[in-house]
Amino acid sequence: MPKLYDYVLSGSCYKVRLLLSLLGIAYETQAVDFFPGREHKRPEFLALNPLGQLPVFEDAGLVLRDAQAILCHLANTYDASGQWLPRDVRFGSVMMWLSFAGGELMAISGARMIAMLNYAGDLAALQAKARAALRLLDDHLADRAQAGGLWLVGATPTIADIAMFPYVALSHDAGIGHEDYPAINLWQRQVRKLPGFVGMPGVPDYF
Amino acid sequence: MSLTDDRAALDQWYTLGALQDFPAGAEVPSRLLGEDLTVRRLTDDVEVRAAGRALPVRTDYGHLWTSFGTPERDLFELPESREPDRRWIHCGPVRVRASGLRLVENFLDLAHFPYVHTDILGSEAHPEVARYEVEQRRDVDELWATKCEFYQPKAAAASDEGQISKYMYRVVSPFNVMLYKTPPTAPDRWDVIALFVQPADEAVSVAHAFMLVIDLTSTDAELSAFQQMIFVQDKIVLENQRPSLLPLQPGRETPTRADLSSVLYRRWLKEKQLRFGTEPRTDLQSTDLPHA
Amino acid sequence: MADWIPIALSRDVPVGITRAVIVDTREVMIWRGEDGVAQVWEDRCPHRGMRLSLGFVRGNALNCLYHGWQYGAGANCLRIPAHPDLTVPPTIRANAYAATETGGMVWMSSDSADPPPLLPALTPVITLAIEAAPERVLAALGGSTAEPLIGLPFAGGTLQLGWHRAHAAKTMLHATGAGADIAAATAHLRALRQSLEQEAAA
Ligand SMILES: N[C@@H](CCC(=O)N[C@@H](CS)C(=O)NCC(=O)O)C(=O)O
Ligand code: FES
Ligand SMILES: [Fe+2]
Repeated sequence: MPKLYDYVLSGSCYKVRLLLSLLGIAYETQAVDFFPGREHKRPEFLALNPLGQLPVFEDAGLVLRDAQAILCHLANTYDASGQWLPRDVRFGSVMMWLSFAGGELMAISGARMIAMLNYAGDLAALQAKARAALRLLDDHLADRAQAGGLWLVGATPTIADIAMFPYVALSHDAGIGHEDYPAINLWQRQVRKLPGFVGMPGVPDYF
Repeated sequence: MSLTDDRAALDQWYTLGALQDFPAGAEVPSRLLGEDLTVRRLTDDVEVRAAGRALPVRTDYGHLWTSFGTPERDLFELPESREPDRRWIHCGPVRVRASGLRLVENFLDLAHFPYVHTDILGSEAHPEVARYEVEQRRDVDELWATKCEFYQPKAAAASDEGQISKYMYRVVSPFNVMLYKTPPTAPDRWDVIALFVQPADEAVSVAHAFMLVIDLTSTDAELSAFQQMIFVQDKIVLENQRPSLLPLQPGRETPTRADLSSVLYRRWLKEKQLRFGTEPRTDLQSTDLPHA
Repeated sequence: MADWIPIALSRDVPVGITRAVIVDTREVMIWRGEDGVAQVWEDRCPHRGMRLSLGFVRGNALNCLYHGWQYGAGANCLRIPAHPDLTVPPTIRANAYAATETGGMVWMSSDSADPPPLLPALTPVITLAIEAAPERVLAALGGSTAEPLIGLPFAGGTLQLGWHRAHAAKTMLHATGAGADIAAATAHLRALRQSLEQEAAA
């Protein structure tokens, strides 16, 4: 059975849990004591991922790190319809948003660790970067909505939406509300309505 | 903000965290009641200083405790800490933008289980809060809620089916609270889950969750992850309550019978004339105020 | 209609949604149930103060996230789940503002002394948050802080911009237009946002 090295408060692990649930894939988890234990920096874990980061995913002999790479693997392996990782003209745009989700948007993750877990770092600088990333997303989603689109890329949800959703939804932990982002508000509701949607602590799964 | 002048808040013991979070030799900054502190762990001793002054220190229950004032009583009793078969789990400090008193009140609350801890500590199909009892134990100056019962789909990390959990709550000081609940695997014992709140500022708190549990199957990481999951589910509520400071003024909020422990907790805080972390009141004459 | 404030585009508040808005530093929320009527309430549950914008809409009711208290369109509390058999006293109610929809926007009023505005149907363009003081934004766009709408000439026509003050340094614009090229108008307004923010930051 595929195995996710997991930490319940990690937004990056949540990306993987969310797609696993949407695709209905059975998997097991191994809880990693990320906080306060810092188990991800111990030799046994570094042997799995020398970067010392969660998530790590094991599947049929593969050991994968990086949430975005894992989403690609899951879509590639388990989604026969090709909807979640389209191999047509949409492919490049999906990759673009995956890169943004693992890049600029991670300012929210950094700010959240400082605000919530007292990590060292420049909170105000990360919050400013986080706001810039959220505005870029809101502008894009507003353009999509004006053209009748509900999703980041194309007419169906893709792994781009799944990679983006967690840290957008968790931005309140970093001290950033969604009052300025009406298009994000509408898109989040679409994601929550997907069959198989699951939340995480800080992302209630009501409806 | 600087150190509060609230006598009732100053004369209390507060935790600054689990002892294991203060490595020997290192100087660790901290904050309490609006004032910066430094903690230095020497080999056996711990030193806490604020504005050049050394503060009293206790190291009970695996935690570091200090006070700015002269607490009326010594630290509370925790007899379960002497039972050899209990697992000690420190869940790590989590910072929350809310009054510490809101955190304690949330900890005492049963009615939110179905909505905030859905399908874990409660389910929407069983939202009813049965009558329970609350008393102020004058001899120890503690607030106890007893005979609490609630249907829980997954009461603890080791649960594999739903159960009606029995709870007792014990508030030992305005910012320190614990609960006793039936463990899924040892129905004749009580698990202890404590929430020690470090009120850094009036509306910024650091929550130190601590468990003394009977559990032969779960790993430490699983136990700690379960409690962190529960607490961070509460965090989104706590940071979105308005006002962030606890209102003590009558009529500001709307309690029902399910909120009995919250009502008596607020009354107890008023009796102590505690102000730190409470919403400034407009219903008192200035002469009624504890401090001019 | 001076005390009526446009706070959102109607399009951005579809049935079943909640939306948080800051109006002059006050936390306000909008929700819309199945009856299609937009409600504007103080963003605070009377029970234990939870922001109602984090709650959820079911049918024609808004449910608070904290303890699931349920409120009807009239702002009265319908159900307290912890006491399933209780008939909730009518005195338990959320704090509702007067609300109306016109010109493609949701409007609120604290005292509703004046009649609500009445505008022709306008096509929604975009809501933009601008990190600049309302006084500066209005001066730059040729509006007045005494009026809730700005008429902005664009491509031979006029965009109608509703605006509200989030706080002293943030202005929310709710742009509508009749027959305007929406994408072009959006691009134009974003360029304005950029220059206003650069100016405010300087
Ligand atoms: N590029 C990685 C980054 C994930 C990440 O930042 N994970 C956090 C937990 S949410 C982590 O393990 N941080 C520890 C570190 O970076 O040292 C991914 O997208 O999966
Ligand atoms: S605070 Fe809203 S239901 Fe309790
Ligand atoms: Fe809780």
